[in-house]
Amino acid sequence: MRFSRRSFVSGAAASAALVILPIRVAALDLSDDVAAHVNDILGGRDPREGGIELDAPAVAENGAQVPLTIRVDSPMSEHDHVTAIHIIATANPAPGIGSFHLTPHLTRAEVFTRIRLAEEQEYLVLAELSDGSVLQAAARTAVTQGGCVT
Amino acid sequence: MSTPRIRLPESASEGEEIEIRTLLTHPMITGVSSDDPRDMLTRFEARMNGETVFAYDFANGSAANPTFIFFVRAAAPGEFSFTWTHEDGQSVSAEESVRIS
Amino acid sequence: MTRFLTRRQFGTLVSASAATLAMPGILRAENTGRLLIIGGGFGGASAARFARINYPDVSVTLVEPQTSFVTCPYGNLILGGKRALSDITHSYDGLRARGVDVIHDRAQEIDADGHRVTLASGDVLDYDKLILSPGIGLRWNAIEGYDEAASEVFPHAWWGGDGSQISLLRAQLEALPEGGVVGLAIPDNPFRCPPGPYERISMIAHHLKQANPTAKILAFDAKEGFAKQGLFENAWAELYGDMIEWIPASGDGRIMRVDPGNKLFISEFGEEHSVDMGNVIPPQYAASIARDAGLANDSGWVPVDPRTFEAEAASDIHVIGDANIGTPMPKSGYIANSTAKTAVTAALAEMSGRPAWDDPVYFNTCYSHAGEDYGISVAATFRLSEDGIAATPDSGGVSLQGDLSEMARTRRLEARYADAWYDSITDDMFS
Repeated sequence: MRFSRRSFVSGAAASAALVILPIRVAALDLSDDVAAHVNDILGGRDPREGGIELDAPAVAENGAQVPLTIRVDSPMSEHDHVTAIHIIATANPAPGIGSFHLTPHLTRAEVFTRIRLAEEQEYLVLAELSDGSVLQAAARTAVTQGGCVT
Repeated sequence: MSTPRIRLPESASEGEEIEIRTLLTHPMITGVSSDDPRDMLTRFEARMNGETVFAYDFANGSAANPTFIFFVRAAAPGEFSFTWTHEDGQSVSAEESVRIS
Repeated sequence: MTRFLTRRQFGTLVSASAATLAMPGILRAENTGRLLIIGGGFGGASAARFARINYPDVSVTLVEPQTSFVTCPYGNLILGGKRALSDITHSYDGLRARGVDVIHDRAQEIDADGHRVTLASGDVLDYDKLILSPGIGLRWNAIEGYDEAASEVFPHAWWGGDGSQISLLRAQLEALPEGGVVGLAIPDNPFRCPPGPYERISMIAHHLKQANPTAKILAFDAKEGFAKQGLFENAWAELYGDMIEWIPASGDGRIMRVDPGNKLFISEFGEEHSVDMGNVIPPQYAASIARDAGLANDSGWVPVDPRTFEAEAASDIHVIGDANIGTPMPKSGYIANSTAKTAVTAALAEMSGRPAWDDPVYFNTCYSHAGEDYGISVAATFRLSEDGIAATPDSGGVSLQGDLSEMARTRRLEARYADAWYDSITDDMFS
């Protein structure tokens, strides 16, 4: 089954999530486990804050399925594009959530998936750019189950 | 593994942005918090005309029934393939084509 | 025509009103201010009654197109065969008897700068303060193919209106072929009445269990979880066996398109689900009058000052009920009733000389009927915090979990509490 372009647009508009305010990664107190995971990705590089927009619910009704849209400000051209986006949990049993690999065949550095959050926590997003630099952002989502969520 | 569900447009013009949505029903059991044995995918790859355009490496924080939405610049002949690979080495694939004008 | 007097005419009326003090209602009130209320539902009717009781000098006009009010709460009990439409239909006569000027017309346009509202009839009402409680608008075509015409095939039954939508859904349920499939499409947050779709599933199942026990209910949801989920799922398993299947977004539960002609629901990933009848609860936003007046933001809902419910985009317009952004409070009738009183107090503070409440507390309980003598609830209180409105820690919670064998008395009692809640809140609106 195929969909018209029109249904794409209205579908996307209808599913608008709350845009959560960015949290400064530098302000977070990371566990050794998480810090080691982050440092593995950074490989000595110094990440810059910002340039990343995260759409996720401020309160998720199911921590096992938290919708997350990541948008990185990038032209996605041959010479200037995002090569990878890593998502890292700060309070899950293991820090790794997953890693996207992007190419200039994509029109924008915008991706959606669903993640697991074992409890209310911050999660980090690191975006690697084609020039070797790294952007970082963080967001916080609370997890309720069965409440009278709005 | 179950049958993948893919959504993309029937046709597009060369260079036009198309939205691709994929879903594979899979429990993604980490084996960490239960006695169930680990049952996890390791990688998802989307190819256009044989070339990888988008990929994802799964880790424990990836949710069950992995779903992706991403945006591709359509190029002729518009042959797409999608592959999910399990940690045990098995994989499942789906192929779709978009008519490029 | 302008129904209210202009400010310049006040002086003459003050002296004239001395002779008419014994008369109830509008004449006596003219000199201290004009409160106009748009929308006669849980927010607006509560506001009108509260204002007349507590601010007898203020004239109160209520504009509502329906000549009687059909509540959304307890509408699901019609599906379950536990209530008739007349049981949930309320007259505005009680408000009239309290001196509210009830006008059955549709508010068409708000001139915020000019403090006036134009009605569909062409009448123009001036106000000093406006309480806007217009409820929701349905986002037609947000689900492709779901427009007003489609709602005659797949009813939404998500506003009371004249009761025709809920009656249509009930009629379809009664005509369902043996072993037929009932489809529901449930939207993402935020939407009116978070537990409502799941009470509806329960009440449909309650009917089918007796009338059509081999029928199936497929509930397609754009979300990953819902209010009182554990309690509902427990109830469904206990009462209805495998009649109900709930499909979350991650299971391809988001319905993107409907085909009423062929009775099809089409999912995000293109699965076609054939149904014998369908209830589509579409995505929502604030009713058009609020959006047209420029009060809503990009989300389609109206941001308000959490202390006064005055719209951020216009002064002297207080927006209550489902149309506003009151997170983390749910879009419930109880919250509309609770916040109506704060909004009236804040709106009339200046003209009455009685201060607005500086630390209001809002109460909410969402009761749901999951079956016969089977009530469940979630309760919370909310108050102001540094970041706006916040749930008071440990102020509420959900009904206790547990098997029916040990919880039967609790479930039965909660069903009675729900009935009592309905009676008392509708009294607080209309009596």
